[in-house]
Amino acid sequence: MTAPVVATGLGAIGPWGADLASLLAALAAGRPLATPIEHDGGDASRLAGLVPDVDLSAWLPAASARRLGRPSRFAVAAARMALEQAGLSSLEGRRVAVVLATSFGAVLFTEKLVRQILLEGPESAQPFYFSECVANAAAAQVALSLGARGVNVTVTQREAGPLVALARGAAEIGEGRADVAIVGAADEMTPLLHGVLDRFGATARPTPERDEAPRPFDAHRNGVLAGEGATAVVLERESDAAARGVPFRVRIAACAGAFDPGATPSDWGSGDAPLARGLSRALERSGRGFDAIDRVVSGGSGSRRGDRLEARVLIRALSGAPSPPVLVPKAVTGEYGGGHLAAAFLAAAGAPFGAVSALSRAEPGLGIVVHDGSPLAPPRAVLATALAAGGAGAWAVLERA
Amino acid sequence: MPGADPKGTLDPTIVVTGLGAVTAFGWGANALWEGLLRGRPAISAITRFDGKRHRTPLAAEVPLHEAPQGARRAPWTDRFAVAAAREAMRQAGLSEASAAGVYFGSSTGGMLESEAFYESLLRRGRRRARPSLLVAQQLNGPGDAVARDAGATGPVETVSSACSSGSMAIGAALRALRRGDVDLALAGASDSLCQLTHAGFNSLRAVDERPCRPFRKDRLGLSIGEGAGVLVLETLTHARARGARPIAILAGEAATCDAHHMTAPHPEGRGAFEAIEAALADAGVDRDEIDFVNAHGTGTPLNDLAEARAMRRVFGARAASLPVTSTKALIGHLLGSAGAVEAVATVLGLARREVHPMPADGAPDEEIGLRLVLGAPLRLVRASAAVSTNLAFGGANAALVFRSVEAA
Repeated sequence: MTAPVVATGLGAIGPWGADLASLLAALAAGRPLATPIEHDGGDASRLAGLVPDVDLSAWLPAASARRLGRPSRFAVAAARMALEQAGLSSLEGRRVAVVLATSFGAVLFTEKLVRQILLEGPESAQPFYFSECVANAAAAQVALSLGARGVNVTVTQREAGPLVALARGAAEIGEGRADVAIVGAADEMTPLLHGVLDRFGATARPTPERDEAPRPFDAHRNGVLAGEGATAVVLERESDAAARGVPFRVRIAACAGAFDPGATPSDWGSGDAPLARGLSRALERSGRGFDAIDRVVSGGSGSRRGDRLEARVLIRALSGAPSPPVLVPKAVTGEYGGGHLAAAFLAAAGAPFGAVSALSRAEPGLGIVVHDGSPLAPPRAVLATALAAGGAGAWAVLERA
Repeated sequence: MPGADPKGTLDPTIVVTGLGAVTAFGWGANALWEGLLRGRPAISAITRFDGKRHRTPLAAEVPLHEAPQGARRAPWTDRFAVAAAREAMRQAGLSEASAAGVYFGSSTGGMLESEAFYESLLRRGRRRARPSLLVAQQLNGPGDAVARDAGATGPVETVSSACSSGSMAIGAALRALRRGDVDLALAGASDSLCQLTHAGFNSLRAVDERPCRPFRKDRLGLSIGEGAGVLVLETLTHARARGARPIAILAGEAATCDAHHMTAPHPEGRGAFEAIEAALADAGVDRDEIDFVNAHGTGTPLNDLAEARAMRRVFGARAASLPVTSTKALIGHLLGSAGAVEAVATVLGLARREVHPMPADGAPDEEIGLRLVLGAPLRLVRASAAVSTNLAFGGANAALVFRSVEAA
């Protein structure tokens, strides 16, 4: 039997900075948090959702930060931010799990290490780069920072990873193996990675008519805003959170996953049927139908194929029922780095989402109408959705506790 | 979360019905088992890249020339994974697995192919480097490839927790099956040799210049290997309903974190101890029922000592007589896929009532204090349960407990 699980703290670092107020303001404003990214010339896409030069010293001493890769820094700071909101100043005596997702890991250190090996020879490889370039470096550094000795898992399921991590963390709490779980995501964007995504046509690019911007579900979308950052969510048993009187409580009502075997390794497929079954399973497990979902926090990112598939999955799962308002936080936060996960919890807590300024008109036939920014009643429940390049899909139903 | 068996219909018994492996001993679980029983390491000069540029030129390479046909453009990590999964499905009598979930591990994905991208980038410039090579690096690649090949539509979850990835992926499958998320799962892991990991472990001076010698006094480090291991896991009810023959029971799992050091284990094996204890508790298996341990046993001075201390703490006086082996002594350390291949070896050992040996050379380290299986296979009088452990960078520890099928 599983116990009800709630989120009691949220920490997020991204192109909005290192505080939730800035993220909330950005989601309300609906403008992409895009800044120029350094390139060695000739690329179509010039913008990325980069973390600005923010002061993390309140969460992570500078001396410690120097020994960490950027994803680890973001993750440790986000975890400490989330614990502060949860009112957990001490984890003493608690079994603490850490479950983080990453799409690409510590890319910069990987690039540096490979360059050293290939250009200067294997003997030049620096141990520091090696130990920090493993995919689980961020999760391990969070555990080291917090003394977290429960399960420590790193999930790598591309865009679906953060919701897969949420499901895993919720299971650790609900099934009684941990008292506190830090779940979330951490990623970084480098010029090289951005350039590769650009060459794949994955990133948004300017056209003669329009600026470079992510336009989820829009007729003129042509790619994502590649972002970076970290999000951490503190999960606890609802009974523990209630006993502590924590004000921020969002219940993880259900999670589910599915796979589209028709997808290619680096792209989305068109298998909406199995993915819609996964979505419906999440609703069934939450004991709700679509009529009880007040927002869909979609993973729509501006990807041509990804958004089309997501729309088809939603439409199929809706089976003719009217769609709840569809939020598109990746139009603001960008793809990667956990902005979508943070936005899902904020949406469940009732945060207002503004109209997305870059959108002009929905793609005909998709059947998805993106939320226009008009005021919405406080939500009973939200559905967070994420479809990954490669075929995986994950869903979570969140509700105010 | 609601939905956890309100009607009491979930089946808590999870059985292994198929095994697949690709290792330096060849393409197949039988090749693995025969090689392990021979007890001679498949660790030799590196051919995959210029090994002579590295401080240590040895590794345990999969014989690529024996690869089955198909998917020639896919990264080797994916090909290992798919081959192992197909073998496991064949043994399980599955022609397809559309309802399955896939729980997979990998620590570096297709880094070998990505290094070709970097090489081209550095030598010929970005415009001439093929970005498709970098796609291979995706850590979700092997698990996705398995799901795609099997036509799986259930959840797919990739774990990349360094050297514990494979064990944790199998653990994730066990949880999902018990929860009723799926009735059938393909669980395993895959990794391939690459310069990054070989140079990286060498930079830590963690690679032995000779084939590794776990738990021996003169051990100097690990030997790196590559390959994949896959288990078909299903509820006993599901297996019986389709007439599948269980090979073993996956009885329990647990994972912990040392929270001690990024690359060194806790000196007393604190987290490893906790993982084994928790896995035994999860399995409902008494420590006295354990008949052998397939240890992480890398051959690094720190790991083996910490792990031995953990085992002595778990098994007490019995640790001196409990057979312990390390698969890494023969096929190297498969990094993210070590836990999966060692799970295959553990299941085969239970099913065949035999513990594979490590090579006999090298005197045991007296500080280890374990009964090492050296030189020749050990026939077991009793084979009721076994433990497989894996410990990783970042202090991530994992343990699996398997029971013999007679307990089903």
